[in-house]
Amino acid sequence: MHAMAPQQTGEARPAVRIRARNLGKRYGALEVFRGIDLDVGDREILSIVGPSGCGKTTLLRCIDGLLATDAGEVLINGEKVTQPIAGVAMVFQHFGLFPWKTVYGNVAYGLKMAGASKAEIAERVPYFIALVGLKGFENAYPYQMSGGMQQRCGLARALAIEPSVLLMDEPFAAVDAQTREILQFELLRIWEQRPTTMLFVTHSIEEAVLMGDRVIVLKGRPASIAETIPVDLPRPRTRETLRAARFAELREQVWSTLLSEARAAEFQLEPAR
Amino acid sequence: MRFSLAAAEGARRHGPFWLSLVAGMALWEIAGRNADAAFLVPLSATLSRLAELAASGVLWQQFASSAALFLSGFALALAVGMPLGLLLARVRTLRVGLEPYIMILYATPMVALIPFILSLMGFGFAPKVLVVFLFAVFPVLYNTIEGARSIRPELIEVARAFRSSERALWFDVMIPYTLPFTMTGVRQGIGRALVGMVAAEFFLSATGLGQLIMVAGQNFDTGGVFAAILVIGLIGVGLMRVGLMLEQHFARWRH
Amino acid sequence: MASLDALLAKPAAGAAAPQARLRTGTLVPRLVTGLVIVVAWETLVRALLPAYVAKPSTVLLAVPKTIVDPAFLAATADTLSAVAQGLGIAVVLGTLIGLVIGRSPLADRMLRHYVNGFYAVPMIVILPLVSLWFGYSEATRLVTIVYAAIFSIIVNVADGARAVPRDYIEVAQAFRSGRLRALFEIVLPSATPYFLAGIRLATGRALIGALVAEFFTAIGGLGYFILYMSRTFRHDEAFVGVALLAAFGIGIDALVAWATRRFLPWYRREERSS
Repeated sequence: MHAMAPQQTGEARPAVRIRARNLGKRYGALEVFRGIDLDVGDREILSIVGPSGCGKTTLLRCIDGLLATDAGEVLINGEKVTQPIAGVAMVFQHFGLFPWKTVYGNVAYGLKMAGASKAEIAERVPYFIALVGLKGFENAYPYQMSGGMQQRCGLARALAIEPSVLLMDEPFAAVDAQTREILQFELLRIWEQRPTTMLFVTHSIEEAVLMGDRVIVLKGRPASIAETIPVDLPRPRTRETLRAARFAELREQVWSTLLSEARAAEFQLEPAR
Repeated sequence: MRFSLAAAEGARRHGPFWLSLVAGMALWEIAGRNADAAFLVPLSATLSRLAELAASGVLWQQFASSAALFLSGFALALAVGMPLGLLLARVRTLRVGLEPYIMILYATPMVALIPFILSLMGFGFAPKVLVVFLFAVFPVLYNTIEGARSIRPELIEVARAFRSSERALWFDVMIPYTLPFTMTGVRQGIGRALVGMVAAEFFLSATGLGQLIMVAGQNFDTGGVFAAILVIGLIGVGLMRVGLMLEQHFARWRH
Repeated sequence: MASLDALLAKPAAGAAAPQARLRTGTLVPRLVTGLVIVVAWETLVRALLPAYVAKPSTVLLAVPKTIVDPAFLAATADTLSAVAQGLGIAVVLGTLIGLVIGRSPLADRMLRHYVNGFYAVPMIVILPLVSLWFGYSEATRLVTIVYAAIFSIIVNVADGARAVPRDYIEVAQAFRSGRLRALFEIVLPSATPYFLAGIRLATGRALIGALVAEFFTAIGGLGYFILYMSRTFRHDEAFVGVALLAAFGIGIDALVAWATRRFLPWYRREERSS
């Protein structure tokens, strides 16, 4: 498990896993975001919330190196990102499962690309399938599973490479409300078991607060960071957290930050459930 | 109990088929017995003529000749159509540039090229293989391109996010995604290749099952004509089955 | 929430830009490739093959005199009118048989195997038999065209008639529509896209049928024109005939595609098949 599991070592843990400075991105005349600075510490979860179409997904792709930025730079584990680098995994809103691969094949995919040996794959894949609660579905094809199960599989695929940084691109936006809630707590449970640095992009304020150690609010055109709100809710976070008075306060704080934008109504913000 | 239920269900579903098959065979037999033998021979006479052809060895010999032609041309079509289709799918400029011309060739009745092939290449085996190839390659190529270009870009992005190499991208994403489409092309190509095979045997030089039909026709051996058509027809049906099975096998992950 | 997700499922802001590039960026590569093909063809033929072999420059020179050649025009009219007649017969018969198969499970079970069987038989093998029956005549060509074309229409119309969503039929029943009205107002419109797809396939097959019939029986027509010209080493003239056939095939394709877009804007075959 060399090279792929740096977060287990404990000692030489860098304080900052992701560092972005002055990031800017434009598509022709359309400037998507500008002047984005962010730091994500080791085992920290940073939520990025913003109205739909504000560019948060684009920002995440720039941080992963899937898209080139027009300004600024991204360092992950001290390495300058120009294309996806080792030790970083992404979970996609559209799940991104290969329909011709079974659950097993999909979970094995990331490991295979990382150059893991057959023996390593055979050892790890069942573990991660069980971790996300898909035991017994190893041979199911994506079309045979619900959206929630598909995203569990997407999560297992990302976790299987034991990434030091997990990038979550609105991972639960495409599943129904109940499933979404179940998956949120599943993810928190898994994170407690295997804490890792996470950048969590979402358009749900509640989800951002529930997940994050800090919440970054993106706003404007081009988008920039309107505010960074520290979330001082204790971990492990559970269903109880949702009922805490502090949770409601933080939710309102994020909400009002987003609303202060005059045209916020036009963004069709999802009101907190 | 369960067995008899299944039997009843089977009879309900397949009964009409067998009934209509028997009716069709009876109709053929009766019509054949009452028609001029130069135009129509009954099923029984067709089958006995077929048995004669089989016993004399002519049928097998011609079948082997046709099979060699079909397989050579079709294998060539696959060997060219599939890799080229994938390449065009991945290299956008090349695809955009070639697509309209491939469309034109896909829509052109290839049979119109036979006279040119005849006058340039003569009567050997190679020109006939070329005919089968030309009939079969464009469906394979066209469907492979259609498939490969319809790959969801998200999946390519996933592969990139997991640091896939170009080689791995081809083997883990492009080819598995495209195969069902290619197989649709293979199924279409089988049908066309069969027409190409007989056309080559008719119009270039008479060999194989095509020759069997031609000779029977020229000798007013109506029973022989029917027997040969029956054989080619059954081959056609069988190959279609194979094509359909291939298509379904490779598409099993699609719903 | 659902609508928000739908919005988000689309690529984020700015993804429209590559789309625009896609549309404008096609013409140049197409022209360049076309030019490369023409030049390669011309050079290869000049370098390796006899002078009578068709090459772009001589084909182009042959176009003006071929398209006014009465023999060419008569051959074209012959073949295309035979194709039109054969298609007409195939469409009428094929649609009727297809509707019956599609709407009656009994007819489906009895006839489907015959239709699939005849569809799988390469149309060209019936020629020796048909010419035994009708001689080396235009009737043989017509029969071959009908045979070549009819099964694609039957299969597609039957598929279309079968694929009428149950919901629509239920709506019709709920509104107390009669069976015949339901056939005309629901079954036929839902089957139309399949029908058009069938016509598209049938046209291509009908052209091939006409050509092989003309090759086989040596009756006058575009196929025979091509055969005769290439036998007498006038490949350029023959090639004009091939080009016309290709244009006809593509033209029908485009016409059907246009008709589908124009008259059936609600229909997206791509979405259904994916």
